[in-house]
Amino acid sequence: MNSNAEVIVIGGGIIGNAAAYYLSKRGLKVIVLEGSDFIGNGGSSRNGGGVRQSGRDVRELPLVMYGIKNIWPTLSEELETDCEYHQDGNLRLGKNEKHKAILTKLADNAKSCGLDVRMIDGEEVRRINPFLSDEVTCASWCPTDGHANPLTTTLGYYKMARRNGVRFISGEKVTGLRMIKGRVRKVICASGDVFEGENVLVAAGFDSREILGTVGVDIPMTRSLLECLVTEAQPHMFDQMLGTAEADFYGHQTKHGSFVFGGSSGFEGCNKDNGTPVSSAKTAPCICRGIMKYFPDLANAKIVRTWAGWSDKCADGVAVVGAIDEVPGLYTSCAMSGHGFGIGPAAAHQLAQLIVTGTTDVDLGTLRYDRFKAKI
Amino acid sequence: MNSVNDRSRDIGPFVPAPDDDMLICRCEEITKGEIRQAVHDGMWTMTEIRRYLRAGMGLCQGQTCARLVKGIVARELGVSPAEIEPATSRVPMRPIEMRIFANEAKEEEDYEQ
Amino acid sequence: MKRHDLIIVGAGPSGLSAAIEAAKRGLDVVVFDENEKPGGQLFKQIHKFFGSKEHRAKVRGFVIGRQLLDEAAQAGVKVVLNATVIGLYQDKEVVVKIGEEIIHYKADAVVIATGAAENMVTFPGWTLPGVIGAGAAQTMMNLHGVLPGKKVLMLGSGNVGLVVSFQLLQCGCDVVALVDAAPRVGGYGVHAAKVARCGVPFYLSHTIVKAEGEESVTGVTIAEVDEKFNFIPGTEKHFDVDTICLAVGLSPMSQLLKMAGAKMEDNPRRGGQVPVCDEYGRTSLPGVFVAGDVSGIEEASSAMIEGRMAGIVASEYLGYIEKEAMDGELGSLEEALNGLRQGMFAPENRGKAIEKTEEGIDVSANLLKRGYVADDEIERFPGVTHKKGIHPVIECTQNIPCNPCQDACPKKCISIGSNITSLPIVAPESECIGCGMCVASCSGQAIFLVDEDLGDGTASVTLPYEFLPLPAEGTKGIALGRNGQKVCEAEVMSVKSAKAFDKTHLLTMRVPKEYAMSARFFRACE
Repeated sequence: MNSNAEVIVIGGGIIGNAAAYYLSKRGLKVIVLEGSDFIGNGGSSRNGGGVRQSGRDVRELPLVMYGIKNIWPTLSEELETDCEYHQDGNLRLGKNEKHKAILTKLADNAKSCGLDVRMIDGEEVRRINPFLSDEVTCASWCPTDGHANPLTTTLGYYKMARRNGVRFISGEKVTGLRMIKGRVRKVICASGDVFEGENVLVAAGFDSREILGTVGVDIPMTRSLLECLVTEAQPHMFDQMLGTAEADFYGHQTKHGSFVFGGSSGFEGCNKDNGTPVSSAKTAPCICRGIMKYFPDLANAKIVRTWAGWSDKCADGVAVVGAIDEVPGLYTSCAMSGHGFGIGPAAAHQLAQLIVTGTTDVDLGTLRYDRFKAKI
Repeated sequence: MNSVNDRSRDIGPFVPAPDDDMLICRCEEITKGEIRQAVHDGMWTMTEIRRYLRAGMGLCQGQTCARLVKGIVARELGVSPAEIEPATSRVPMRPIEMRIFANEAKEEEDYEQ
Repeated sequence: MKRHDLIIVGAGPSGLSAAIEAAKRGLDVVVFDENEKPGGQLFKQIHKFFGSKEHRAKVRGFVIGRQLLDEAAQAGVKVVLNATVIGLYQDKEVVVKIGEEIIHYKADAVVIATGAAENMVTFPGWTLPGVIGAGAAQTMMNLHGVLPGKKVLMLGSGNVGLVVSFQLLQCGCDVVALVDAAPRVGGYGVHAAKVARCGVPFYLSHTIVKAEGEESVTGVTIAEVDEKFNFIPGTEKHFDVDTICLAVGLSPMSQLLKMAGAKMEDNPRRGGQVPVCDEYGRTSLPGVFVAGDVSGIEEASSAMIEGRMAGIVASEYLGYIEKEAMDGELGSLEEALNGLRQGMFAPENRGKAIEKTEEGIDVSANLLKRGYVADDEIERFPGVTHKKGIHPVIECTQNIPCNPCQDACPKKCISIGSNITSLPIVAPESECIGCGMCVASCSGQAIFLVDEDLGDGTASVTLPYEFLPLPAEGTKGIALGRNGQKVCEAEVMSVKSAKAFDKTHLLTMRVPKEYAMSARFFRACE
């Protein structure tokens, strides 16, 4: 078995798969190691499918805007997979003055980066989405936001990368990296397998922290459990991505007709698990109550599934993407803070370019791994 | 490494079959041909098939088709069905209306009469 | 949050049995079941069960269901119906949908007894209306009083396929064929024989090529398969049917265990995805137990014993009984369970071709291939003897764990002995009084009373009869052989019904004496 490659990618999620695809497209030999038995098993398959710019931190905006302009519109064709990308806008909903203040601040920030986001009143909200209840009195509206299918997008990248000759190995949990003569080189696995790469890209979600730690790099992040639910297919209602000022739910209607809604119970930071992310008994009922206040029409829609996933939350809520300068050959995209799906393709695309050419189209300076400073 | 983990193992080309248009997942209307093609696209586990095609993600949550899909995937990969790990099970066991899921009973109510 | 000592999911034979044992030992027990009636599959089972007394043999399934419900009520078990457990969460939190609400419960121990669901097989047209599970057909007939169809083809020769075929006949359906891709009948020979003698042809090494019809099933084509299960061209056979019943096995409904994080395994011998558990139902999750089909497909009799074991183990887990007491009781239950797992159909013999009985007699090749013992094979079995005057003829030819016949005879004509799977023997010196208790006691309907020479050139054959309406004395008709074909003219001499026969009627027909050993069923002339 040949275990050498020009790039070893750790993590078979959307970033790992997309990076493998873009690298292989540029002719590089790539091996992807996925720790679980399934490709795309982390946050890549466990998110609400938002491809959003509004509401994002200004440090992240250039990268996400790059993706929405250059990658997402043609992704289904490129991957020969229906990624179900819809660019029909994002409504972030509010019900009172406090919400309005939160939304206005987010909108102002985004506008300063050149994003088309504006505040609209309840009436205009219902012109865009007539199914919303009268409780909604305001919203921020970003017409260039949208959503896509995280499952098919992640697996579509995998399919194409594999077709390009990328070697994927699942069930191959990486325990650490080893430096050889001043460069990262060896990737050590729990199975005893050792892979060698001229470059190593760590895109393993929360596990990235432990893996990067083996070469002395620490990215401050925690893990938080996000929960979602899915309804049976419903007649087509709307195409926008939705969120709320209160963050009590977010989601969209899929092409298939089902609604995918995420939400919170207030216990995200301290939910317990049994080794895999599992739903808690409290959350789904809470999400349902949240949704029905906004969409009374969905009261009779049947929930067919609930699921949970871990989000790798960065200390400052912003992703880490780029080269780890102090360890030559090492790159990462992690601590995506719940934004990894929408931003992932662009992050992977830019990292592939960085690995091959040493340059990027988007300045990744604000997303550096060594930006974390104590507060005083 | 088991026979499913190395995704570069050669499983031969996709060969169309006369029964490729047979429905396997009735809830989501997924055919045998789509499942076989997905295996050749690299979807080697029940979880990936589910995520890629929606097979087993409908109202019955795979109660009817999971065993059938498993057989098709195993045959395509040339392994025993027992080597194909089933997909996870998730709450709720049966589809449940949002308004009911939202409606948590008060402590004092007693149904056990 | 409301908390119980023990929450049981599923009010079928195993769940109720677990509940009874736990409640008897002082546990506060509640059973949730999503159905509107309790009993799981038991109330669909109108046939008499096999086994010995401790397994409630020769009692009909629905009666066992009633007995269990009575015992449960006496023990103080609360059974909540129309209560769907939608999730088993961490810390043994059980969320139940009842009416328009969901309710959160905590349990100190949980028994999952959710049973199994029917498997499907695919063939062109398998999604047409009219293709149904055999269990579904049974539900329609026996719970709801609805005929599943008029002309039915049954796929699957296991006990479910055989029993449901017989019940379809009892309902007046025309069962046009019993088909199985396997080369041998999978279920009990006695079940097959009672279907075959009604005239249902068996097609082993055959399977469905396609179901026909636009809106619903109007026909079906089957064909023979080779040993690799490929169709043999030119062997196609067509039947006009409106219903195709699939009896192709069951899969454990183990989702609650999986979602709760129990260690699972894929075990084809146990029917699919099952929790890893010990012989008493302890799973990898402390305090979570399993019983019945969810932990491996068997049948109701063993499910009841497993349920009792789980109830006892849960009682010990929660400190209601001492370990020593538990060990003693488990020992005797284990013996009872082992009793059921003996013989040719024991779990370790599944799929094996068995050529000789425990007594060293060649197994009937016809029985395995066509569903009935051929006339030239029947004489070699020890229950088939000849004698002047009336005497029992026991056409029980396989080693199965069942012995009610030996206790049924007041004259001790029949003996099985201490080995429950032995073939019954007719004691030569005993005096048969023709009471018919043995005929009615045989769950396999395999015992006949024969008087081979009535002195006028005729013989009498008394057979178990479970069809309505009952023919009147003097009704003329034909006698059918074991293969369901006409052997001769026949006339009804008597039809006896008695409470002790438990709805099995004893039909005695007169046939020419040369057919005494081949006439085995009666059909009235139209």
